[in-house]
Amino acid sequence: MVKSELIRRSPLRILEQSIHGGLGSGNIGVIASRKGVGKTACLVHIATDKLLQGKHVIHVSFSSRTDHIMSWYEDIYREIAAKRELEESTEIHDELVKHRVVMNFSQVGVSAEQLIGSLRALIVDGKFGAELIMVDGYDFTKGDPASLVTIKKFASEIGASVWFSATVHREQPEVDDNKVPVALSRYMDSVSVLITLAPEEDHVSLKLVKDHDQYPQENLSLVLDSRTLLIVEPS
Amino acid sequence: MDERIKNMRNIGISAHIDSGKTTLTERILFYCQRIHAIHEVRGKDGVGATMDSMELERERGITIQSASTNVTWKDTVINIIDTPGHVDFTIEVERALRVLDGAVLVLDSVGGVQSQTLTVDRQLSRYSVPFIAYVNKCDRTGANPVRVRDQVAEKLGHNAVLMQLPIGLEDKFRGIVDLVAMKAYYYDGDYGETIRVEEIPADMKEMADGYREKLLDAATMFSDELAEAYLEGDVDEDMLVAAIRKGTISRKLVPVYLGSAYKNKGVQTLLDGVVRYLPHPIETPYTALDLDNEEAPVALKADTTLPAVALAFKLEEGQYGQLTYMRIYQGTIKKGMDIYNTRSRKKQKVGRLIRMHADAMEDITEATAGDIIAFFGIDCASGDTFVAPPLNYSMTSMYVPNPVISLAIKAKDKASEDNMGKALNRFTKEDPTFRCFVDPESNETIIQGMGELHLDVYIERMRREYRAEVQTGMPQVAYREAISERAEFDYTHKKQTGGSGQYGRVAGYVEPLEEGDYEFVDSIKGGVIPNDYIPSCDKGFRTAVQKGTVIGFPIVGVRVVINDGATHPVDSSDMAFQSAALGAFRGVYPKCKPIILEPIMKVSVEGPTEFQGNIFGSLNQRRGIILASTQDGNFSVVEAEVPLSEMFGYSTVLRSLTEGKAEFTMEFLKYGKVPQSVADELIKKYQESKKENK
Repeated sequence: MVKSELIRRSPLRILEQSIHGGLGSGNIGVIASRKGVGKTACLVHIATDKLLQGKHVIHVSFSSRTDHIMSWYEDIYREIAAKRELEESTEIHDELVKHRVVMNFSQVGVSAEQLIGSLRALIVDGKFGAELIMVDGYDFTKGDPASLVTIKKFASEIGASVWFSATVHREQPEVDDNKVPVALSRYMDSVSVLITLAPEEDHVSLKLVKDHDQYPQENLSLVLDSRTLLIVEPS
Repeated sequence: MDERIKNMRNIGISAHIDSGKTTLTERILFYCQRIHAIHEVRGKDGVGATMDSMELERERGITIQSASTNVTWKDTVINIIDTPGHVDFTIEVERALRVLDGAVLVLDSVGGVQSQTLTVDRQLSRYSVPFIAYVNKCDRTGANPVRVRDQVAEKLGHNAVLMQLPIGLEDKFRGIVDLVAMKAYYYDGDYGETIRVEEIPADMKEMADGYREKLLDAATMFSDELAEAYLEGDVDEDMLVAAIRKGTISRKLVPVYLGSAYKNKGVQTLLDGVVRYLPHPIETPYTALDLDNEEAPVALKADTTLPAVALAFKLEEGQYGQLTYMRIYQGTIKKGMDIYNTRSRKKQKVGRLIRMHADAMEDITEATAGDIIAFFGIDCASGDTFVAPPLNYSMTSMYVPNPVISLAIKAKDKASEDNMGKALNRFTKEDPTFRCFVDPESNETIIQGMGELHLDVYIERMRREYRAEVQTGMPQVAYREAISERAEFDYTHKKQTGGSGQYGRVAGYVEPLEEGDYEFVDSIKGGVIPNDYIPSCDKGFRTAVQKGTVIGFPIVGVRVVINDGATHPVDSSDMAFQSAALGAFRGVYPKCKPIILEPIMKVSVEGPTEFQGNIFGSLNQRRGIILASTQDGNFSVVEAEVPLSEMFGYSTVLRSLTEGKAEFTMEFLKYGKVPQSVADELIKKYQESKKENK
């Protein structure tokens, strides 16, 4: 399969249709689940789809090392390329790498200002025109809604969309009236799209909780394949 | 005699630049009473640290050549190789590692595991050198030795265990709690030379107990006896030391020491650690290759009665002639005896035999297995093996990377020209990564090395040590040419000029080769080219790929397949087929859509976070691909891939962009295709230079 075909037939097109054309620049999306269900895999798949379209992506993480994230990207790319028998896979890969930066914060308690400061340094001074920013592992239980407002403002300024992953702790399974996990309730004003992941027997289902102005509560016709960790159409 | 060898330690001190290893070495010499006053690196007294024996090193404040020095701590003889930290000089580090039995990895209490630490760690692994870690500069603002321990565990993947805890940190750093003895140590006197042992401060008791538990947990893995004693609550110190020693020597445990060499704290305790936990020569396995037995590996034994085996690991042109540093692995070498250089097959008499203390030397009459000593007046290259008859061994060859940068040099006058020749002769012997040749086309002398700084240092040394004033051209990147498409050839070489002529026809195809530089495949069927001429075809193609026609650089990644051809009963010859192959390649090459490749460096820039915008910007301007950035508090590390050709002068630029607070390291990563605009420029330049030479 050639690249353009692969992009056209990507299951992520279904996601875009479901959320009225996509997240949209200046908007924040959140993928929430318990630990170890597949949030990072989803983020990396969405990012890789954008990279294939020639867009620039910054992946923000909060761990001790960057090579861990890079191998996520390598694995997801390899799965996609193998599944679709992508032509000129090596050349396309080498191009993708140029459009991706992993930005890692090793210390705990990074403020929104610090995060934006570093993103700005890379985007403005480093002339890295990011269209998509992935923030993997931001602690919503400790953060405050004002931070998200600041980040949303920054996203509109530079014309990028931002996806967050959010961990919903086992001890806090409650949801509010809109079926939003309570830990995230107070952030909903700044969040345009919320997707939750729920582990089923042999796959993980994706549920669209918030879609811009609505709370549709519908299962997307997409699942996370537990073997390849790719977002796929259910078989 | 064994007792003497058991009381011997050969250690290296490895670190990231500016982690303070030269200062640490200086303190070690002081406490071992080899020197009587302490000089700082870049010190106010203008004397400079004792180990940096070269003038140049003093001026630049970095250690370039590894000098070996011999000290005695309590009853143990310690040979210290002060290894350079800059990545351009890693061959020095690698060479030093070959002769070491153990190492001290110095880490900065603030910077922790830095890019260079990773390189050094890889090198220690390659030669399986056991080591202990020393977290230096605990007096610095932001010092956090516990976090550095975590980094050694997480980033380097070692089972790192704290042996000590700091009493106070930063400007309140006062002393050290030892978790083996469970005592507090304070370093009194003007130079911390008097150690005062006290009880652990009451407010640290609980913490110390906690870390002692961790240490015991780690140590019990290596001793059942200790595990039992631990359960019974009856651990004695010797048992614990033996277990830690076992873990360290097997590289399954890394004891972490701490202190501040600059503030004279924790150095003596580190020396005790070296003696306690690092192996002696008998415990370190070494193998040589038996040249009389198809290079079969043979184990060497640190036995003084066996025939001697020694490796010349470093040459130095001293005031009194050539000094050769050697490590003896087996046997005894005495003054006046004959030894054989197994590479040059020359017999030589051992003249002066000395032990080195940086610049001072002591004459000795014999040295044994385990010793690191120096010879005077022995002619050899570094890496040569010396043996006593009847052995014919060679130590395994050292890993030598290919140079990535070259520079044309020219002497300014006749006297300089002679001196330059002498200097180049010396440098190429001392340093296998430094090469030199005369370009047959331009007639220029070209030097090659591992980076800009590497070559700069040699130019400086020529001027200072050899009084050779040289002019330098622009640094030149070692480009490569490659093919991107498969193409077929069918070429006939024919010459008829009276007498016997020349005739050869070769046909086949060339295609890109994923792995390797060149491959020749003979698919000739039915002997249309007789077997005798096949090697000539191969030789012709090999000659052709040595120099491409796009920009005159070697062609890599080529597979040549010949599947047809023709001969003439009289006129075919080796020469004719060589010419046919050469002609065939030259003809087909342009059809293969040749491309230009350039060396891409893995660059790591580290500095305060406030400057990250400048760092990102400077890398972007240099065609750099930013792969990742990591922030840890106010400290950032940016990793990028940047073409070598864009990195010239980067150190100056970075310094001015960041008030001198950022530093960078780079090493060769891979060859990558140059963008079209750059390729056009290179081709234009090549065409012009060709015209000029005509």
